Amino acid sequence: MNPSTPSPGPLSSREIGFHLLGLALFIALLALWFWFSTGARAVPRLIALLKEADASSRIIAAEQLGHIGSPAVAASPALIEQATNDPSQHANTTAAAALKSIDLLAARQVIDHYLPLLKDRNAQLRRTACAVLGSLGPVAKPAVPALVDLAKDPDELVRRNALTALAGIGLPSAIVTEALIAGLHDSESFVRHAAVAQFAFGYPLAPEADAALRALASDPDGTIAALAKTALERHIRNGPSEVQALTMLVREPMRRDYALFQLARLGPAAGAAMPAILGILHDERPLHRYLAAEALAAIGLGGTEVLSALQQARNDPDPIVEQSVEEAISLLSERGRKAPP
Amino acid sequence: MTTADHRFSSRVRWLVRLGYWSALLGGLTLPWILMLGFDHFVRNVPWRLAWRSFYLHLFAPGYNFFLIGLLNVVSFVLLAIIILFHLGKAPLSDPPKVRQRAWALATAGLTMIGVSAWTHVSVLIHPDAQGGLVYFFLPVTLFICLSAGYAAGWLAAKWLRHGAHRHET
Repeated sequence: MNPSTPSPGPLSSREIGFHLLGLALFIALLALWFWFSTGARAVPRLIALLKEADASSRIIAAEQLGHIGSPAVAASPALIEQATNDPSQHANTTAAAALKSIDLLAARQVIDHYLPLLKDRNAQLRRTACAVLGSLGPVAKPAVPALVDLAKDPDELVRRNALTALAGIGLPSAIVTEALIAGLHDSESFVRHAAVAQFAFGYPLAPEADAALRALASDPDGTIAALAKTALERHIRNGPSEVQALTMLVREPMRRDYALFQLARLGPAAGAAMPAILGILHDERPLHRYLAAEALAAIGLGGTEVLSALQQARNDPDPIVEQSVEEAISLLSERGRKAPP
Repeated sequence: MTTADHRFSSRVRWLVRLGYWSALLGGLTLPWILMLGFDHFVRNVPWRLAWRSFYLHLFAPGYNFFLIGLLNVVSFVLLAIIILFHLGKAPLSDPPKVRQRAWALATAGLTMIGVSAWTHVSVLIHPDAQGGLVYFFLPVTLFICLSAGYAAGWLAAKWLRHGAHRHET
């Protein structure tokens, strides 16, 4: 261009092109940064964080590993160590919660570590054991009988933690519900608070809990009364549409574990969701397969279709899922035999 | 081209480059700078710890500061592209028009920065789960700010130009 002729604009088309190329590079760099920092690529960095002296680093690393799921299986030994030996209870619970999404066998190792501690003379150890087992969710089902006993512990904090853990495990729902209803009558207000909060925020409301919640609606503690009212209103609001909504959520991979867990806790009332659950028996995530088998057992309607789907899922690569499928088959077969022709 | 024309052209070119890259980098980092600043100045967290906490939460589920940065930058990318084409191709032969465009884009950018900063600081002051939903509306809100800010700046520049013209005559 002749320097004496005025330019049509301050930037030439070529320079604009370079700037747009810069924008494309900027976006590509962000995408690369995201790609390297998430999913299986982030696992080595997160394992290194689990060894940090700072508890918050270990907690956040465990949460992220749990979010990654099965591809983070290399982190299992470090997570077991954190779940069982970390001095911070929050670090214990986050590591345990992560393990249930990563490696069910490792989660069971954590259960085996904490089960004897539920009977320890040290109340603080019993409280921590309850919290960690509760964070494992339905995978910690074998701990339910011991936790039901702890719901009558002389230490009120242990009772509170036991009830919260039982609600977190949720299965078998009849036993858990009974313990939670008993908790609604506890002499300590914060234990009643823990029990009523479960019904107010997520735990399915059994008809047996109705009377106890109505009584709590006039509790001298205003927060407990408000929570009891919330629980009763939630029940009226949700009704049968709850199963319908959960069935839809089962189809969404991100919300699948929550939906399956809720359906399992609803038990026979969730019968309409069975066709959706059957498809999950071959899901890629062991936790989903486990929850699907548990939900089918909890619903307890063992038609030919259900039994045949369970038979096909019998040789699951994960031993915990395999065991759960076997239990579901024997439970449903037994019910089928007992049912009138 | 006279020396004055050349100087004007260089200044506008410099302004376009500055505006373009400031919009991109500033749009991405504004929420992060506010988070770090809030931790240090309001919560009295030392810079080193504030940075560490920020870095740990960048991709943490439930926090995802990286995503917050992305949601913030979307509208700023649009602003950067508008700066590049609208100001980068402005007719240098008509300096008042170039200035009017520059004012309009500067007002749009400042409005966006103001609203974005106010949103992030509000979420930091009142942290709760529902508060986080505001981030998903942020791109649309900032897009509206871009349009409104541009219109306001354009009208203000026009009014000032006419005012100056009247004063001269």
